[in-house]
Amino acid sequence: MIDIREVSHRYAARDGSGEYWALRGVTLKIENGTFVSLLGPSGCGKTTLLRIANGLIRPSRGEVWIDGKRVTGPSADRAMVFQEFNLLPWRTARRNVEMPLEVLGVGAARRREISAERLAQVGLAKFAGFYPHQLSGGMKQRVGLARALAIDPSYLFMDEPFGALDPQIREMMQIELMKLWDQEGSLPGPSAPAAAGVSSARKTVLFVTHSVDEAVFLSDRVIMLGTQPGRVIADLAIDLPRPRWADDEALKRSPAFIAYRNDIWHMLKRELHQSLEAHANSA
Amino acid sequence: MISPDVSVPAAPAEESGQRSAAFLGRTALIYALRIGALAAFLAVWETASRAGLVDPLFASSPSLIVAKLAEMIGDGSIWPHVAATASVTAAGFGLAVLVGVPIGILMGRSELINATVEPFVAALYASPQVAFLPLLIIWLGIGFTSKVALVFIGSVIIMIINTETGVAQVDPRLIETARSFTASERQILAKIVLPAALPIILAGMRLAIGRALVMVVVAEIYASNRGLGYLIFQAGGMYDTAQVFVGVGILAAAGVSLTALLRALERWLAPWQVDARQSG
Repeated sequence: MIDIREVSHRYAARDGSGEYWALRGVTLKIENGTFVSLLGPSGCGKTTLLRIANGLIRPSRGEVWIDGKRVTGPSADRAMVFQEFNLLPWRTARRNVEMPLEVLGVGAARRREISAERLAQVGLAKFAGFYPHQLSGGMKQRVGLARALAIDPSYLFMDEPFGALDPQIREMMQIELMKLWDQEGSLPGPSAPAAAGVSSARKTVLFVTHSVDEAVFLSDRVIMLGTQPGRVIADLAIDLPRPRWADDEALKRSPAFIAYRNDIWHMLKRELHQSLEAHANSA
Repeated sequence: MISPDVSVPAAPAEESGQRSAAFLGRTALIYALRIGALAAFLAVWETASRAGLVDPLFASSPSLIVAKLAEMIGDGSIWPHVAATASVTAAGFGLAVLVGVPIGILMGRSELINATVEPFVAALYASPQVAFLPLLIIWLGIGFTSKVALVFIGSVIIMIINTETGVAQVDPRLIETARSFTASERQILAKIVLPAALPIILAGMRLAIGRALVMVVVAEIYASNRGLGYLIFQAGGMYDTAQVFVGVGILAAAGVSLTALLRALERWLAPWQVDARQSG
């Protein structure tokens, strides 16, 4: 479980005129094996919250506990997928996937095995020898996903992973992510073949997005953040049947989907109005 | 189970094959033009010298220079000079790389170290480093060491500045990515910072080797009884212009081939950079 306790985070203003609160008093509990989206307008601190939960940033106040341990830095049980892919341009797809394994000291033969499996899993088996600049945006993010899955983490942190992609590619990637996630739940992870005691439970995913449709389609739970300061304004369970990828278009036309979508839009708009009014009054 | 994107790049091997065919044709043309220009220049020079339009005593001529070179190779008198210059350059440049790269890395990775050292590096860069030679001779004597020291001073600055630039320009997002996968400072340096900075470090070596050759010639003119710089200076004093050109020609050839070697090394060690530049 990810247990975020009273987390606040402050940045110094660039011009040195003071500081502002990117996050204020955020408290959340995220159950293992769930897919949770952090949704909000830009500037609501959702990316900061994701990095704090992962351990990349230390919060100014508050604590994060994961599985009963306090988070003080990144861990090999948590992996991150980035909006801008962040692949190393001097490495092929295969060697990009192997980078975290090198960091963990996995031997060359085993690394090769894992990278081949993970690239196959994201449909890039034939592109293992390609450099990032030879791949399209969607393919780059598949490599980014394969790299994160290479260490077989229990927690997957995704920072607007499809935000830099074309709309059609984006929808395809959402469906494929759902397939992968469902697979993880039913099959043992390829890097831990049949080892006794290895959990085959679904990964816990914390997914940052500003797309309402994306959040509803993917998530078990959508947490909405507001701006100035960033804080939780709503926390909504999405009770749609899974698997959702089987007939995604029917799902997106279903009254339940549309109702969730409208509710969330409504809440986000109200929040936006309030913050604009507050801004106008204080000015 | 997952199909690749619609926007799969069309068979890259084929595409680059086409590109390189046109590219090779153009390259061949450029080389032909260059060789033609050089041949024309040498022919004019030779003719002017033979026809008495220029005084061979001052201007020499290609045939006189080749004859001189053949003579010096024949009696073996060229080799001690080449060896002396090569050893001073290699020692001074090698030391500059070994010292300059780590200093540049420290400056690029630590703002505090950078802020402390930067004014000194800038001052040394801006000052005419040749002017240190008299001091170096007083401290180290006339010999191998003082010349190596001058070559070192000239090229280490370039290595420091280029390495620092390369390291400071590393995309912070790539460093964050490595950190998110629990990489240590050491692993970040080895797996992210050095590979990312490598093209700029190699470009620095290319610039530094040119500077090293200038420095070695100056040091040999001023304080030596051997070396190509000494050879050129002596020949000039005796109006032996053919020998001056032999020395200058060897140095120019060394400079050009070492630079080409480093370019090739760059292409070999950083192919993504060259590729990405070509495909724009």
